[in-house]
Amino acid sequence: MATATASTTAVVRAPKKETLWRRIVRYKHAYAMIAITFILLMFFNYYPAFMGLYRAFFNYDVGLKPEFIGFGNFVKLFTVDKTFIKSLGNVAIFTIWRVISAMIFPFLAAELIFGLTNAKHKYGYRLAMIIPIVVPGMVSILLWQFIYDGVNGLLNALLGAVGLASLQHAWLGDPSVALGAVTLMGFPWVGGTNVLIYLAGLQGITNEIVDSAKIDGCTGFRRVWYIDIPLIRGQFKLLIVLSIMGGLQGWSTIFVMTKGGPGTATMVPGMWLYNNAFQWNKMGYASAIGLFMFVIIMTLTIVNMKFIKTSES
Amino acid sequence: MAEAVTKGSYVTKPKKRSGDAWHVFWHTGDWWHHILLIILLILMFIPIIMMLIISFKTVAQFSMDPFFPTFPLHPENYERAFTVIWRYILNSIIVSGISVLGVISLATIAAWAFARYPFPGRDILYYLILALMMVPGELTLVPQFLLVKGLGLLNTRWVLILPYIAGGQVFAIFVLRSFFEGLPEELFEAARIDGASELQSFTRIALPMSSSIIGVVAIMNVTGTWNDLIWPTITVSTRRLMTMTVGLYAFRNEMYTQWGSLMAGYTIASIPMIILFAFTSNLFVEGLASGALKM
Repeated sequence: MATATASTTAVVRAPKKETLWRRIVRYKHAYAMIAITFILLMFFNYYPAFMGLYRAFFNYDVGLKPEFIGFGNFVKLFTVDKTFIKSLGNVAIFTIWRVISAMIFPFLAAELIFGLTNAKHKYGYRLAMIIPIVVPGMVSILLWQFIYDGVNGLLNALLGAVGLASLQHAWLGDPSVALGAVTLMGFPWVGGTNVLIYLAGLQGITNEIVDSAKIDGCTGFRRVWYIDIPLIRGQFKLLIVLSIMGGLQGWSTIFVMTKGGPGTATMVPGMWLYNNAFQWNKMGYASAIGLFMFVIIMTLTIVNMKFIKTSES
Repeated sequence: MAEAVTKGSYVTKPKKRSGDAWHVFWHTGDWWHHILLIILLILMFIPIIMMLIISFKTVAQFSMDPFFPTFPLHPENYERAFTVIWRYILNSIIVSGISVLGVISLATIAAWAFARYPFPGRDILYYLILALMMVPGELTLVPQFLLVKGLGLLNTRWVLILPYIAGGQVFAIFVLRSFFEGLPEELFEAARIDGASELQSFTRIALPMSSSIIGVVAIMNVTGTWNDLIWPTITVSTRRLMTMTVGLYAFRNEMYTQWGSLMAGYTIASIPMIILFAFTSNLFVEGLASGALKM
């Protein structure tokens, strides 16, 4: 009986195995084409990601022997570490605002450009919108730091000029306003690249749809709501996913502007991870923070993929 | 007929006399678009304009009138800033330049393989790459640091270049693969009949057709590595090798309150991107307009 089964499976499998092998051989050049890519990814991405998951369960201070502590780091994160809990709230505010602003402001700008009748004007605005991206991110963070400066800053000068001197603050030094200031940096929140991505979507809407909508009396804001937004869902989705990832991971701004302070007013998990790893050498604990952020980001991305259907489907 | 073309349609209008143009401008409602867009652009440019104005001020001029141009202008701020900053900029050019070349050459080849050849395991391998897009820098930061430290790469250029090439490929492959897949199969069929090899259809047909999207991916990659702060901060501590972001950060801390020189430094740091952009803005605008960036 046993031999019979074995031989049948062998009979069934043999040709399949051969074709698979043959196909692999036939496409050997394709494997060669992706080989270097995977070697690099293996070293600098997969291995670190795996080690990040692994070390999160260790008490691993630089110079000391790693010690397996199971979920010890996580228990500490959520029961003892008040700063971490606070940083989660801060990053939530930060990210929610990023998503909302990426959905509204660049889209409105794109609609304004799209609505122009003159193709040359359209092109001019498109170009003008992306010129600010030549300013390095670091420089614009430093410029905003200057805008918020308590003594010499532009914002305080403006408030003084319009008679609202009572509203002046040391924007980044006052715990009650620092988080708001850091979150709202980047006014008017219109990233040139984002505008162009939306605009590309709008221009991909076929003439027939626009024309038939017009015949049905669907114009202006009704057209934006019932036709444009549903048809460029793909673009919205991309920018939502990118903003979530950017918001949860983007702590260079905090690093430069406030280092998480004053006190812990603007602390975010990335900054807290950095402090633990590179100030206090607590690599295991920092890895646990990283693992937790990974789980959050992955969950949100999957939810986003599932619930916002793309235009193609 | 011309009047029928209003908002929402992107048929280009035939050329008209100026009286007509004004008529169209007024009656299509374009005027309020222009007003809003110009206000928006002014707001977007305020930080840049301010940077330029302040960069020509001495400390005394700044303390008297910080925000409006004051005369005489002081271009020597630029001289002072340049002597400190040029090295950081050069380092950034080397690092970002080598990285983007590596990313584009590896990613186009890999994306082509994924798009064109149904080799066994293709989908699994592709999803393995896509999965990396969900892995945050926070998870890999510490282990990556320990890895490069173990490899003895700290304080070299490679500690930046190798991870940049590895990581940059992920997004590039994602975008390029879907673009390559969208290229019409008939083209390559025709090329094959005419006796073109696989290599030729890649280099002579696919690459030229995707030059604008490759340009977009390249520019996004350069802006990414050019602006990276955290990784160079923890891996490069010798001044000789510091990149622009880290250098500027140090510069800020040294020159604090010398706003004129600081802003001059910020301006100088923007120049390489301005040059890059002057040559590639058309490519960038067109590539983004192709609509390839969505999910």
